[in-house]
Amino acid sequence: MTQPAAQQKPPPWWRTLRADPPAHLRIAIGAAMVGVIVFVWWFLTRGEATEAIISPGRLPAPGGVFASTGKLVENDLETHIWATMKRILTGVSIAAVVGVTMGVLASSYRVIAAAMTPIVVFFRSIPMGALFPLVLLFAAGNAERQKTVFVVLAVIPFIFSDTFASISSVPQRYIETAQTLGASRQQIIRKVLFPIALPDIITGLRFQFGLALGYIMLVETNELQQGGLGALLWTTQRSYAVDSMERVYMLLFVITALAFALDHLIRFFQRGFFPYRSDL
Amino acid sequence: MSNGGSKPKPTFFVVVGVVIVALLGLAFWRCSVKTDTDGDGGKTGGKTAGKGDEIDITKIKQDAMGDLAVEKVENLTAKEFKEVPAVRLPEVTGASSYQALGAKRKVRMAINVWAGWAPVLFANEGGAAKKVWKDASGKDFVLELVLIDDPTTMADKLAAGEIHIGWATVDMLPLLVQRLSRDPRTMPRVFHQVDWSNGGDGIVVRSDIAEVSDLRGKEVALAQNSPSHYFLLNVLLNAGVQPSEVKMRFYGDAFQAAQAFNQTPSISAAVTWAPDLYKLADAKGNKKLISTETANKLIGDVWFARADFARDNMDILEGLTRGFLDAQMALTDPDAAKSQANKTTAGGYMDELFGFPKGESFGMLGDAHWTNYAENRDFFLNANNPANFERTYNTAYLLYRAARIVDTKIDPADIADGSIIKKLESEPKYASQKNEYDYKFTPVAGVDINVESSVMTKRVVIEFCPNKSDPMQMDDKSGQSCDPNADTTIEEIAKLAAQYGRAHIQIEGHADSSMKTEAKGAAFEAGVRKLSQDRAAGVKQALVNKFKTLSPDQFVTAGFGWDRPADAGDPDNQRKNRRVEVKVIPVEAQ
Repeated sequence: MTQPAAQQKPPPWWRTLRADPPAHLRIAIGAAMVGVIVFVWWFLTRGEATEAIISPGRLPAPGGVFASTGKLVENDLETHIWATMKRILTGVSIAAVVGVTMGVLASSYRVIAAAMTPIVVFFRSIPMGALFPLVLLFAAGNAERQKTVFVVLAVIPFIFSDTFASISSVPQRYIETAQTLGASRQQIIRKVLFPIALPDIITGLRFQFGLALGYIMLVETNELQQGGLGALLWTTQRSYAVDSMERVYMLLFVITALAFALDHLIRFFQRGFFPYRSDL
Repeated sequence: MSNGGSKPKPTFFVVVGVVIVALLGLAFWRCSVKTDTDGDGGKTGGKTAGKGDEIDITKIKQDAMGDLAVEKVENLTAKEFKEVPAVRLPEVTGASSYQALGAKRKVRMAINVWAGWAPVLFANEGGAAKKVWKDASGKDFVLELVLIDDPTTMADKLAAGEIHIGWATVDMLPLLVQRLSRDPRTMPRVFHQVDWSNGGDGIVVRSDIAEVSDLRGKEVALAQNSPSHYFLLNVLLNAGVQPSEVKMRFYGDAFQAAQAFNQTPSISAAVTWAPDLYKLADAKGNKKLISTETANKLIGDVWFARADFARDNMDILEGLTRGFLDAQMALTDPDAAKSQANKTTAGGYMDELFGFPKGESFGMLGDAHWTNYAENRDFFLNANNPANFERTYNTAYLLYRAARIVDTKIDPADIADGSIIKKLESEPKYASQKNEYDYKFTPVAGVDINVESSVMTKRVVIEFCPNKSDPMQMDDKSGQSCDPNADTTIEEIAKLAAQYGRAHIQIEGHADSSMKTEAKGAAFEAGVRKLSQDRAAGVKQALVNKFKTLSPDQFVTAGFGWDRPADAGDPDNQRKNRRVEVKVIPVEAQ
């Protein structure tokens, strides 16, 4: 400590822990990493089947994977995407209405919380795969409803818990301030607790979309002719077509892109609606 | 870190507006698209042939003859056994890429839950790699049997080299081989047939379905791209029903399909297998329409090795084939007490590997007929057998191609390797065996057959020469065949008779009624009827002449003159009226 700290120039980002590189560089580094992966992938699969380091029977070459997009579109890719999105949107919306309402009430009135806890614990702990056969019986006869019901059941407990936590974490001083201004309990819920917790509740919902996408893949393997990305993935795998592996890999990219796009769309709205929450 | 802005910026509202408009637009667009597709049957898969794509199975087969390398067997009627070359396989190059066998030479083989695997479990004394086998040169190896029920997983593991030998039904091979042909080293090599499904697979229906053709417009539950799918396509097309006329509801596997049928009254049929097949068929309001008890040469099980493994280890594969054949002999020992004891032992090994309660597998054993050496020889080496490997494989390929599930044809000769079966010919133990699976029909007269109980009627057209009854006869004047397709049509009927090997086949001759108006009297009409009878008999004769494995007693013939027009609504359609109808009377109804 020989020199005064005030005059010292801050060290560059690469010598500072937890400092971000400039935005353009961040994108460039990310892109370079993707490039490296694709290069390694190409290198491992290049050449004839018997000469490739990894046989095309195990890992198809990147060129073929991207070229299979045409075949996927031919097989009504957009119809399947739409079928899946519809189920997720409907399922999460229904779950949001029920789950958020219950969460707000339970967090505000702890009698309800005490009653809800065992149910939530049960549904949060149960492996959803095990629940699926029960849903099949429960909503028998209407396969479309079965799929939506499954998504609803899968995400409700998480939406409930997230909402409960978001409401609970609203600082007590806001409630006290509202009380000193003469607000009733309903008014405090509607005007204070809910609006302050809303950005975090929506963050919770955003994660649930990711979860729902995973679950819907599972249930869409039932009643395959109703379509959806899960059904497409399953039928593509079992089509045994020469390029079925390429299409399966491409589908994985499509699903990843879809999840990423969905997440960013919701974040975009969040930032727009809640510009005061710079942490979102 | 906050920018301080507490209100959304104008751009945000613009973007939100654009998104809402786009979503509304999409909604409208989807609505119109949906009504369009609804009119077309509302398919989402886009894989099944839509309406307007009539599939004529005979035509497909005629079209495909050229590129199929199906053995043309004209002029062979004198010979009983035309041999297929034992090996016509393409060479495999490149370093082998399967998991090394190790010091103990451990071979890993995948099997599924199926009665057909009893011989190998018996020979290996269970699933674990304990028993020491001898290969053809007397060296030791051990065999580990791995239970992999899902064919896709099995194919993936085989491609990865984790297992060396996989399981398949012959009808699955045209599908599997597409995936495995990616790398010539993973191409399947088939050396031996394990069994024919003998009652294990079948179609259950509601009681109001009497014939396969009653399935038109009905919902059928099944597993896609599976033996069930092949069975259904085969049954439908042989009964003249287009696959697009049936609403197929696909499930993950045959058991899910059975469950869906059980729970959903709107589903009229399910293609499934034992034990669910029997359970559903016994339930009130359901019945078994047809099963592999009748269609006893339709679904055959085989094992296959990776091509690079086969190249390096022919001795092991010969040892394995011998093991299968010897176990088959032990399980079907003429001494009933011995065979019973051996079956009980095999059932025990199956229970253990499949995780079944003790004794359950024993009850399944009747679902499969384990093929002996003679049956294998007929399957791989007899070109005159209408249900041999090549024809079974081609039938499946053509059905899947017609349903637009496969597009790449891989020749059956690139897969089947009859060299081991051929080699064992020199050993009396095997050479003395007889084909025991050909059903011994007792001769019956046409009147004794309950034609009402027929479940399928196949209509074929053979252009006979005027006043002649031999379909193969040449025209007196031109010296040419009166029906250049007669050979293919006969082969078609032969395949049907062979595949539905326990069904009585009624061949009915029908004549056109163009002379009916001229009223030439009862004697003329009797002559027409006689001619139609003779033509039915002529078709039967041509069948048994060409395919010596077919029993003449399987067929009954009848002639109806012009009494039964093909289409009651259009009785003067003479092109349709000049026909032969082939009715399948299943063993279930006999």
